Amino acid sequence: MNSKEIILNNIKRNTTTQYDMPEFLLNAIQYTDKISQFCEVLKSVGGSAYLLKDGENTDDVIKTLYPEANVIASNCTDVTCATLNPDEVDDAHQLVGIDLAVVNGELGVAENACVWIPQNVVHKVLYFIAEEMVILLDKNKIVNNMHEAYEQITFSNRGFGVFISGPSKTADIEQALVIGAQSVKGLTVILR
Amino acid sequence: MSTKHSKAGELFLENRSHASWHNEALWFVREKRDRMSKEIPEWEDLRELSSKIKLHTVSHLDAYLEQFTQKAEANGAIVHWAVDAKEYNEIVYDILQKNKVKKLVKSKSMLTEECHLNPYLIDRGIDVVESDLGERILQLMHIAPSHIVLPAIHITRQQVGELFEEKLGTEKGNCDPTYLTRAARKHLRNEFLTAGAAMTGANFAIAETGDIVVCTNEGNADMGTSLPKLHIVSMGLEKVIPNLKSLSVFTRLLARSATGQPVTAYTSHFRKPRKDGEMHIVIVDNGRSKIIGNKDHVKTLNCIRCGACMNTCPVYRRTGGYSYTYFIPGPIGINLGMLKSPSDYFDNVSACSLCMSCNNVCPAKIDLAQQIYKWRQDLDRLHVADPTKKLISGGLKFLFTKPGLYNTALKMAPIVNVMPRFMLYNGLNDWGKGRELPEFAKDSFTALWKKGKVKQDDRS
Repeated sequence: MNSKEIILNNIKRNTTTQYDMPEFLLNAIQYTDKISQFCEVLKSVGGSAYLLKDGENTDDVIKTLYPEANVIASNCTDVTCATLNPDEVDDAHQLVGIDLAVVNGELGVAENACVWIPQNVVHKVLYFIAEEMVILLDKNKIVNNMHEAYEQITFSNRGFGVFISGPSKTADIEQALVIGAQSVKGLTVILR
Repeated sequence: MSTKHSKAGELFLENRSHASWHNEALWFVREKRDRMSKEIPEWEDLRELSSKIKLHTVSHLDAYLEQFTQKAEANGAIVHWAVDAKEYNEIVYDILQKNKVKKLVKSKSMLTEECHLNPYLIDRGIDVVESDLGERILQLMHIAPSHIVLPAIHITRQQVGELFEEKLGTEKGNCDPTYLTRAARKHLRNEFLTAGAAMTGANFAIAETGDIVVCTNEGNADMGTSLPKLHIVSMGLEKVIPNLKSLSVFTRLLARSATGQPVTAYTSHFRKPRKDGEMHIVIVDNGRSKIIGNKDHVKTLNCIRCGACMNTCPVYRRTGGYSYTYFIPGPIGINLGMLKSPSDYFDNVSACSLCMSCNNVCPAKIDLAQQIYKWRQDLDRLHVADPTKKLISGGLKFLFTKPGLYNTALKMAPIVNVMPRFMLYNGLNDWGKGRELPEFAKDSFTALWKKGKVKQDDRS
């Protein structure tokens, strides 16, 4: 017997009582204003939301919010302020030194400010290696809670996806919260 | 007779101000957890659901593990099975060797602590780099985590400042957490960029899709797995859950219970290996399949490793993680240690006041305190029961079964009230250390009752 068979046999032998999968009779939280709930939670986790006004242009907003960003990486076709198309480099290691990454999000979650991103760039390191990050999100695509989110998210054929809620953070030194640990130091979600 | 836990706890308490900081810092996390849970009206229903999903999954684990393996393999991952720690370490080393990896960058995994993977690999010439900030601090100090979620909770900023001054060349005397975190960020960036492989744990493995789900705040697991093309996942076999629908329950509970956040900053789904890369998943048993057959303790397999039971535990908060002899401390660690080896880890079962707070915060509703109580009933069988307490219990049994003697003793008891202190508070009275004895009543309840002095209205 190989290890897999040994382990599975042990499990079978030791399982005496079997329990059914419970029914999901859950009255999960709903918000009357999902957008403002999303924005509020995002702020509480160290990020910020920007609600694009009528006639406002995403590019201009990015330039106003990040005036000092020299290297802006994005493969979003409507982000013309990008200085680098991250999909054009051969190796993920070449993406060091990016000031700002601008990426598309698919779905937002009001209860915890998560944004789902199915890998939509060649090198997923882009989501983590930049100093700051902007996620572009359709404001009509915010759901109430994680149950709704997991019913709706899709995967790309690259086989990676991530929920991101605010910038990276740590409190490992004496429980003092520091925004910007190993990944991005700041995160803005532009709702449009 | 004191247990190793109580002796170590006494040492921890010698540094009064640090012990008090430790207690308050963890209580603060517990309070954040309470606030977060109260924002969710269906919180208790979620806990109930989570517990039931886990009971169902653990009782169908063979089927779910097979389904998970089929899916993961269809997605292009390579799945390995390890019966014990030895086989697990060998599998990991073999993968690294075949890929000529010199440096492995790791994100947090308690399983690798359990199996002592780091020293095994380091002995064989692999450079192992922990990338979670707390874990990295401890690795540079050559010490173990004292909490499963807040690994360096027992370390002060001054200690980190001195450590980084020596190892990372930070400014002398600067122990500002932001400054130190930035220094670690710079240092770890270089490690991520030069690593040959990344290892992550798995918070959840999804049978329906083959996904490995990893939750971090720092983004370290993602930095690691996005640069080197080899990703090794280490998972205990109880990490598998049926589907994404189940996951939606756990992602709502995990961070709220652990640190009082609405969710971790990153919830990453690894479904396929990267282009031209490899993804290996090592499923580890190491005693877990045996727990399934233990009906008193099978619920320990519900654990999602949030650490809430530690944050709320009055004993853990006041004695610190190192007072426990098992590598996982607190209520869950007491139980897991006993399941691993009662003769090695029985000292920890004394670290519980049976206040039951852990039961009430556990997001998977593990009956942690009842389980500890049950272990205590086994101590005599293991020949490790405290002889003093045994003597006292024996004496009390003798007394309680002889009404005449009991009543006489009770009448005599108030003498204690007027006895000189040195006769009461000495080495023989463990109970009187650090606390005052209550005053014995002049008349017993039975005496009052017989005299008709107990009235219905006196209930309060």
